[in-house]
Amino acid sequence: MSDAPLFSRRLLFTVGKGGVGRTTVTLALALAAARRGKKVLVVELEGARSLEKTLDELRRSADAPAELARIEICIVDGSRALEEYLALVVPVRRLLDTIFKSAIYRYFVAAAPGLKELMAIGKIWYEVDRREREGSGPDLVLVDAPATGHGLQFLGMPQAAAKTFSVGLVHREAKRVAALLRDEKRTGAVLVTLPEEMATNEAIEMSAALDRLGLAQRLLVVNEYHEPPCGSEDLAALEAALSGAGVEDAIYPATAATLATARVEFDWAQLNEAQVVRLEDQIEAPMVVLPFVFCEEFSTEEMVHLSACFEAEFPDADTIASGERA
Amino acid sequence: MSGAGSTALARLVADHRVLVCAGSGGVGKTTMAASLAFWGALQGRRAIVLTIDPARRLADSLGVGAIGNTPSVVPAELLGTGAAGTLSAMMLDQRGSWDELVARHAPSPEVRDQILANPFYKQLSESFAGSQEYMAVEQLGELEASGDYDLIVVDTPPTQHALDFLDAPDKLLAFLDKQIVKWFLPGFAGGWSVFQSMNRSVRFVLDKIEDATGVGVLSQISEFFSGMGELFDGFEARVERVTRLLRSPETAFVLVAGPDEQVLGQAEYLQARMDEKGMPLKGVVMNRVHRLPGGDAASEHDPASLPAALATVAAAAEMPADVARSDLVDNLRALREGWRARARGDALRIELFCGSLPEAVPVVVVPNLSRDVHELNGLRSLHEYLFSDAVGAPEGS
Repeated sequence: MSDAPLFSRRLLFTVGKGGVGRTTVTLALALAAARRGKKVLVVELEGARSLEKTLDELRRSADAPAELARIEICIVDGSRALEEYLALVVPVRRLLDTIFKSAIYRYFVAAAPGLKELMAIGKIWYEVDRREREGSGPDLVLVDAPATGHGLQFLGMPQAAAKTFSVGLVHREAKRVAALLRDEKRTGAVLVTLPEEMATNEAIEMSAALDRLGLAQRLLVVNEYHEPPCGSEDLAALEAALSGAGVEDAIYPATAATLATARVEFDWAQLNEAQVVRLEDQIEAPMVVLPFVFCEEFSTEEMVHLSACFEAEFPDADTIASGERA
Repeated sequence: MSGAGSTALARLVADHRVLVCAGSGGVGKTTMAASLAFWGALQGRRAIVLTIDPARRLADSLGVGAIGNTPSVVPAELLGTGAAGTLSAMMLDQRGSWDELVARHAPSPEVRDQILANPFYKQLSESFAGSQEYMAVEQLGELEASGDYDLIVVDTPPTQHALDFLDAPDKLLAFLDKQIVKWFLPGFAGGWSVFQSMNRSVRFVLDKIEDATGVGVLSQISEFFSGMGELFDGFEARVERVTRLLRSPETAFVLVAGPDEQVLGQAEYLQARMDEKGMPLKGVVMNRVHRLPGGDAASEHDPASLPAALATVAAAAEMPADVARSDLVDNLRALREGWRARARGDALRIELFCGSLPEAVPVVVVPNLSRDVHELNGLRSLHEYLFSDAVGAPEGS
């Protein structure tokens, strides 16, 4: 659908406002890629671990799809990544322990501008890079980035750190990572939103902020979209007819309730559609609309259903083979 | 289900001076906080909502369109009839708050300017984890001390962990640990010589950090603390005062949540941690709950009856044959069943969650409305769910 298929991006960040379904979208995308035979690494940043929990539940479910085997997860913790990094610089274990235990080190890590974020992205970069160096590692890395404000801060950190640290290792590392984020051949963002007013406002702002950061927006995912259940004239005609229809008393309430449900759904559809129009108008990335899922409990079946919506975003296997190495 | 809870929420608002709305991002905290404050104003209170990141239209209708740390009063005529009290709103400008704090407590204009210009300070005030949360706590203290309000509703910052708000005062105190701060106090003028008296390992750490980062950062940190050190004693006292306020019986934490598994999981965790901290949860607003439109009808359980009835209605509507075709009827029926499943799932999850709450904590349910609530009228329309017994029975329950 676009000249640059999603899959040719090796590192994708899922970004969006709190509560719009970033984690669900990340996993649905991972499943879609895995179904195409690709090895996927999903990355969760230290915190709520909701990606890990959801993936665990998928794996444990009776109808777990086979392609889950091609999805790995990695939890990235910025402080831990910094320790790993220092371990490379300082090979003596005893000295390292002294460093990590010292209050001044913890202080520095807590307070130095963007160091943790830089190290977290550096760690992700390492995972992306590994494949080239070792011929192993994932084909696609999907990062479930923090919610809007924190997410932007996170993605902007390498640039900020490159400015703050004017010389030294961190400066070089920061520049390298900042360049990776701006390399639109390899890196991109998947912006997730709900088709509701507040979320749309925030998505539009977020999109502009991503442009400023130089991070290419590969996909806009509109989650929980309500389809109109029927045409508005049909619904109005049904509603008008209900009262005069001579429906038997015994089944009148059920019929009325069904039409009431259709009306509520219709209102949602209208509200959603208006926001989709705004999104189309203001955000350039190709759009995938995920339907609102009616179920008692969101489980494997629903996740697989959503992942199918991304099928068109991934080129056929032979396209991948020819287009992958640029 | 919500009847008893609703009156209990009205009582909760009446009995407390401070309401803190907690919960994870995207659950509607800002809207609920504003609606609760509005309710307070209608009940004759001098109410204020301290909001963090309101939607533009909400900000505009509350009169806080321009960012600033000054309360603005919502004009009485906008509150509508019967408002006996006042409603004010204030939007937290995190950066402004820090600058104000520094300006207020700096011992001299020189120290103030030195701190404000320090890059490390800028970083700290913008992005130190918990600094926004801390400033919300700080502002709460200010508002409370002013004596201008008898109901203060606080909207907490949108964080992944709603807990950050509770932890912010402790974190900040730990951050400004005197023992560590004093290392930096002599200033950086003498290079590493100020650290001569420290043990070798600390020097080693600093050397390594210097290698990796260049020296600029440490000198900035050092400079920052030489200014900040003088403000520090004030901080500790302020944090303690606000922590006391948060634990006071006059303060109630109200959890805003939604019927999603992830949200409820976080809510449960949050509730446990609140108890630990001696800040017990006193009310829950379950927002965006799917309710089956039109209620449940007994006749729907006869699987044959509904298509027949719909077909009758379609015929009565004199629809052309291609409209009254069976897939329209099937669609509507499937939609109804879908809504039923979703509503049942929401109800089950809420029931499970309520089972984990202490008995006395009221839970009110606000349905997922097919409209965005941004304006004063919208906030008011939520009262019928939040305080249903006090306003009249809600529709469709």
